[in-house]
Amino acid sequence: MTARRGSPSDRDGHDGVRDLLPWYVTGQLNEAETARIEAHLDGCAECQAELRFEERLESEVARLPFEVEAGWARMRRRVEGDHAEQPVLRRLQARAPWLGWGVAAVLMLGLGVLLAPSLRPAPTIDAYHALSAAAAPEPGNVVVIFRPDTTEKSMREALKASGARLVDGPTSADAYVLHVPAAERGAALANLRGRREIILAQPVDSGGAP
Amino acid sequence: MLRRGGQARDRRDAVVRPLVLDEARLIARIAARDLRAFEQLYRIYHPRLTRFLTNILRRPQLVEEAVDDALMVVWKRPEGYNGESKVSTWIFAIAYRIALKARSRHEEPVEDLQAWSRASPEAGPEQDLGNRQIQEILSNAMGQLSAEHRAVVDLTYFHEAGYREIAEIMDCPVGTVKTRMHHARRHLKAMLADRFGTDWR
Repeated sequence: MTARRGSPSDRDGHDGVRDLLPWYVTGQLNEAETARIEAHLDGCAECQAELRFEERLESEVARLPFEVEAGWARMRRRVEGDHAEQPVLRRLQARAPWLGWGVAAVLMLGLGVLLAPSLRPAPTIDAYHALSAAAAPEPGNVVVIFRPDTTEKSMREALKASGARLVDGPTSADAYVLHVPAAERGAALANLRGRREIILAQPVDSGGAP
Repeated sequence: MLRRGGQARDRRDAVVRPLVLDEARLIARIAARDLRAFEQLYRIYHPRLTRFLTNILRRPQLVEEAVDDALMVVWKRPEGYNGESKVSTWIFAIAYRIALKARSRHEEPVEDLQAWSRASPEAGPEQDLGNRQIQEILSNAMGQLSAEHRAVVDLTYFHEAGYREIAEIMDCPVGTVKTRMHHARRHLKAMLADRFGTDWR
């Protein structure tokens, strides 16, 4: 145990303050608790170190979420796809089979099993490249899902505007795998995500791809 | 109140505080069968509950059902909100109870340890290597915690719930919340310090 310099003699008081630090960091304590902690922190090196740890931990934990994004994209499709004509209960109970948890899971797993072949230079992709260009096959590094009513023209414009090339799709989940230059992927994703016809645009990386 | 900036907080805030709304007013409108109000509430809470329940259930299909079931309770029984707590506390408590029931129905523990280990969609070659390592270690460490401990950590750091609110959501004494958080922090700290040394002690 690290020695505390100038800490109060009341060990329970020290432990009590230490245990409240997570909520001090997130600003969820009342004024009295906040004042008590700040008074204690002034003289307790151990709790000062704990506070620094708390601040970093809170920041790192807050960066962990990602499943929400895929889930929300699915729900956005469900809510917006069939609009106000239907009773809300039916809308909420309805399942959107083409964009269910399967897609979310696939996206979360970096396109896992369903799309894994698309991220590798599969034979069909080889054939495509052999006919269209002499370049080596490029692995997909972005996956997008278009709204079901998107026209071919809109899809083409979206791909051109983002500098993307179609690698594969539609998959069984109606997703498309694209390739964009690695250095421009951030800008391409921003472009894709800003388009109304695109429900979801996520970066993906194949096993050996940069 | 301590406030820090940064992308992580911005991203989290986009989920936790998408709109400044009088949620109690939304509940009153839902009680009057206002579908637009329900849609607003649904949009706010679906992502929050999805994340929260993923920590507990760890199976996408169960999470989806539980989130929808919880929000359906809000639609069917808005009078259950008595105005004494935050709307968020009431809804999270509903979701937590539903998740516990769902978990008990599917007794085999399916601890999807990979869930915490997957890369963030924002993670990529451009992300700093050190940050990714921290996230990996933290993800693994979170996966080793019990569902109850993960729930407390997530409610505290991501949803920014106070310990009293968490006690209400989880229907347990505030001392239990503090104890769970204490043990969770100790575990996470040990895992991080073990890998990164004094920087995380």
